[in-house]
Amino acid sequence: MNMIECSGVSKRYRRSWALRGCTLAIPGGRVVALVGPNGAGKTTLLHLTVGLLAPTAGRISVLGGEHPGSPAALDGIGFVAQDTPLYQNLPVAGMLQLTRNLNRRWDQQLAEARLAELHIPLDRKVGKLSGGQQAQLALTLALARHPQLLVLDEPLAMLDPLARYDFMASVMAAVADEAVTVVLSSHALAELERVADYLIVLTRGQVQVAGEVEQLLATHRTLTGPASHVPDDAQRLRVVHAGGGQAQAHLLVRTDQPGQPPPDGWQSHRVSLEELVLAYLREPGAAALPGPSARAIQNSGIPA
Amino acid sequence: MTAVAAPAPAAREPRPVPWTRLAWVTWRQHRVALAGVAVLLGGLGLYLLITGLQIHSAYTAAVSCHPAGSAACDVISRPFASLYHTAQIVSGLLQVVPVLVGVFAGAPVLARELESGTFRFAWTQGCGRLRWAVAKLALLAVAVTAGAAAFSLLFSWYYQPFFAERLDGALAPQLFDLRAVDFAAWTLAAFALGAFAGVVIRRTVPAIVASLAAWTGLNFATALFLRKHYQTPLTIKGSPSYYNPPWVVSQWYTGPAGTPVSQQTIRNLIAHAPASVRNSVNPAEATAYLSAHHFTMWSAYQPESRFWPFQLIEGGWLLVLSLLLIGAAIWLVRRRA
Repeated sequence: MNMIECSGVSKRYRRSWALRGCTLAIPGGRVVALVGPNGAGKTTLLHLTVGLLAPTAGRISVLGGEHPGSPAALDGIGFVAQDTPLYQNLPVAGMLQLTRNLNRRWDQQLAEARLAELHIPLDRKVGKLSGGQQAQLALTLALARHPQLLVLDEPLAMLDPLARYDFMASVMAAVADEAVTVVLSSHALAELERVADYLIVLTRGQVQVAGEVEQLLATHRTLTGPASHVPDDAQRLRVVHAGGGQAQAHLLVRTDQPGQPPPDGWQSHRVSLEELVLAYLREPGAAALPGPSARAIQNSGIPA
Repeated sequence: MTAVAAPAPAAREPRPVPWTRLAWVTWRQHRVALAGVAVLLGGLGLYLLITGLQIHSAYTAAVSCHPAGSAACDVISRPFASLYHTAQIVSGLLQVVPVLVGVFAGAPVLARELESGTFRFAWTQGCGRLRWAVAKLALLAVAVTAGAAAFSLLFSWYYQPFFAERLDGALAPQLFDLRAVDFAAWTLAAFALGAFAGVVIRRTVPAIVASLAAWTGLNFATALFLRKHYQTPLTIKGSPSYYNPPWVVSQWYTGPAGTPVSQQTIRNLIAHAPASVRNSVNPAEATAYLSAHHFTMWSAYQPESRFWPFQLIEGGWLLVLSLLLIGAAIWLVRRRA
């Protein structure tokens, strides 16, 4: 069952297109990292999946065919919006009671147990909690609804490193306990690398990369060699990004045969998720998409 | 959960979140605003109750005094007269109560959610944003309108002796919208304007200012231009009796040909009248002089007996307007994409 399916989804605000022709299929049981520069359309895509927005064109379905915003979709999706908007003047207990009364499904025990574990007092006003505690409270409110899909929009943005670590540990514990699918957008590439098993890179409103992290890492290599001796077949290598100094060149290439030896005088290295994401973000024209929609890399910014 | 394989149709369309739970949410989030309304109306109500009792006892003392018109009775009815002056000031001040209550209760309901971003939380919960908006707006509208209705009942009782003494006409503008259904209807209209402005403007303070301005404009336009046209005014020769004070909408003269003439013509005519007419303190002399020259005064007026039809007409269109505005606000919440 695909948790999210987008087919040619576009969204236009008054003047500009936030998303253009997004086609995606996110399978269940994954932790999906959604990355991209500011203004790439990440929040728009997430708001479309939770039903806060409707697409201008195209179709989107969630939880295996439900319409976003329908009762079944609302029941099955827990959403934590950017900056974790909660009612600041309510006490934590009031926030729990409010959420319980707004939902069919609610697990008071789970919510109270989680908050006790996090040492978040029930009688404290939400506005008096730290940023990390507010994010944890918002996550608790989402998890206590036992969602099939958890959508988190930049949950780490306002958190210090320790709070980030704790928050992601909570998310991963929920993934282990509840088999929930998680989609989270973030700029914190290091945190994502630890948890994500599916990656979507969104650039200028379009899907640039989508795929299993393992597969992406297996099909990308960094080639390092003398800048003066760029291999003759460099044009045939699918170079995502070419960088380096005067003497040395670094090519991040996409290859279907990772075992293939590098050209003479060059070395081949594994790439990290961070390197891979950065290479694609630097080359908005490059794309790595699953299946037949993958298009040839036109970019060839190789030093001559 | 093991029943994932073949979900029953009932499971696909789950039972909606009960209204009682949404009522609790509404109460929990807006109890401070409702308490504010209760304190304002309660405080003013207490004042009306205390002074109302004084008015009623002063009135009883004044009407039970015999022989009426004697110097002794004059002294006894003096407190009633001074209470009347206070009551006029009070009724003037109460004009702003519907807009205060309605706008301050109505504008923040949606504007605050949109302004602070909490709508992203509220609208992604299981109950859905349509039910959420309907519950909030409907319950708060009913609460605010009911409070206003109770308050205007109290005011009607408070002011009743002055009507009994015919000190004011029932259609007098500053009293008409404090009584019967009008006070509650104007409060509801203020609430609806506030809620609608809130979802359009999406910021609390500008929404309050905009709905305040819109309500005031509507209220003035109604009192000055609209209300007198609810039913065709009655027309009589001369002026209507002052014993049963009606609401005179317009007055004009007709000339010897039976057609209306301008005020200038009448002024010229009076200017050329004999000094005995011009200098007379009795207006009947001027009228007699004019009718001798075949000029007749006419009055168009709304009789007292139209108080209830006018209340129902005004209450009716305000109710329709409010429902349209609340409906539009809910539609915008649902549609906002």
